[in-house]
Amino acid sequence: MQKVVSISLNGNSYQLEEPGYEQLRDYLDRAEARLKDSPDRAEVMADLEQAIGEKCRATLTPHKTVVSSIEVERIIVEMGPVESPDAQAGNATDTGAPGTGSAYAGYRPRKRLFKIREGEMFTGVCNGIAAYINVDVTWVRIAVALLTVFSWGGLIFVYLALAFIIPYAETAEDRAAAFGMPFNTEELISRAKKNFEEFGQQYRWRREWRRQQRHWNRQFRHMNEQLRVATANAGPVMSQSARALGGIFVVIAALAGAVIAVALILAIFSLVVQHTVFGWSLPQGMPLWVGILLLVMIYIAVSTPLRMVRQGGAGPVGYHPGWGALHGVLWLGFMVLMFWLAYTFFPGVRELVDQLMWAGNLVADTVSETIV
Amino acid sequence: MDLNEKLAPIRKGLLEFVILKIVAGDKVYVADMLKLLGPTEFATQEGTLYPLLSKLRREELVDYEWQESEAGPPRKYYKLTPKGRTQLSTLNEYWKNLNRTLADFGN
Repeated sequence: MQKVVSISLNGNSYQLEEPGYEQLRDYLDRAEARLKDSPDRAEVMADLEQAIGEKCRATLTPHKTVVSSIEVERIIVEMGPVESPDAQAGNATDTGAPGTGSAYAGYRPRKRLFKIREGEMFTGVCNGIAAYINVDVTWVRIAVALLTVFSWGGLIFVYLALAFIIPYAETAEDRAAAFGMPFNTEELISRAKKNFEEFGQQYRWRREWRRQQRHWNRQFRHMNEQLRVATANAGPVMSQSARALGGIFVVIAALAGAVIAVALILAIFSLVVQHTVFGWSLPQGMPLWVGILLLVMIYIAVSTPLRMVRQGGAGPVGYHPGWGALHGVLWLGFMVLMFWLAYTFFPGVRELVDQLMWAGNLVADTVSETIV
Repeated sequence: MDLNEKLAPIRKGLLEFVILKIVAGDKVYVADMLKLLGPTEFATQEGTLYPLLSKLRREELVDYEWQESEAGPPRKYYKLTPKGRTQLSTLNEYWKNLNRTLADFGN
């Protein structure tokens, strides 16, 4: 028994055995990829679909309504590999085997960063990076987990940015190339926008968001755990004077952290409103959000050592709830700001704001619950 | 390098010329073009022919019209445009000169 798939070829419906359908989809995907630079792409694709449709119809009789996989295979062989006449210069032979086509000659061997769904844990970013740098995904996950802890969760933003920027490997082509091509800025920005809009529009986002929350909750719990361990280890080995010094460091680090956080918020505001940060304006052609992302990254880089000092010194003086609360408030403000930026720059986000506010409260609860 | 590999680019380059010659006669459907080309050195497939015809149409050398078929959706029948006819006679001329040049070299 074979599963049958109903398809539409240029407006007419046909029933194909499932393996045949897979093959045909592969063929058409490949054809589309080869024609991607051709101005006639849509027309040629319609022509090809119609030609395939006619060949399918020829195999059917009143008592045979399904095109078999073997027939599909024969049809694909008859159709032959699709070549774009605009891209044929200098390359004469084309055997039709995947990877030898003239249109592939330029980009095939290049690696390309994709998110990979197979075996993903969250969005497939780690999986894609692992494929890209050719190491086991476990190492990437460990690295991400460690960096997340050391950056006090700051890496989450980098991760989210990557999740929006990197496309999924949807086709066999993509998966084959899940190993290639450097990004250019324009492509990167348009893809991030597109992905974000899709993310906002699809019903799926609710589920994603809940997963996100669970992820964050886990992260917070995890960080807290780390903090306790560090505190317990640091305490007993410190001398009296070191404890006093540690206490001073906590105060200084927390103050400096707060100042930096406020500076970040002010810098982002001035970037949004006046397009300059302390007299420094964005380089020509750099979009605003890239500038903001840069600021956030600088913030993370500068604030990480301070946090580590604070973490190291937290034990001796006891963990005062006030500092945790202050940190929580700053952290929350930062989050709200991110949401506000998203609200301003991505129209799809508008409807989500209510839920974001609700999530913000949840994060605040989590912060005070786990830290206090 | 085997001989066929040397000849393939020549055939490929001439395919466009051959297509213009075919559509210069009556209006033709792609399946009929393939049948005509099948027994010749220029045997080709839909995967090559459709993109080539779309390119020729973009260059305004050929055009098509829709015609009802007895079974299934209407089909595209291709024909030569006046511009295509001019180019075809230029190509014919060029081909003759090429033959003459080759003959002049002898052997």
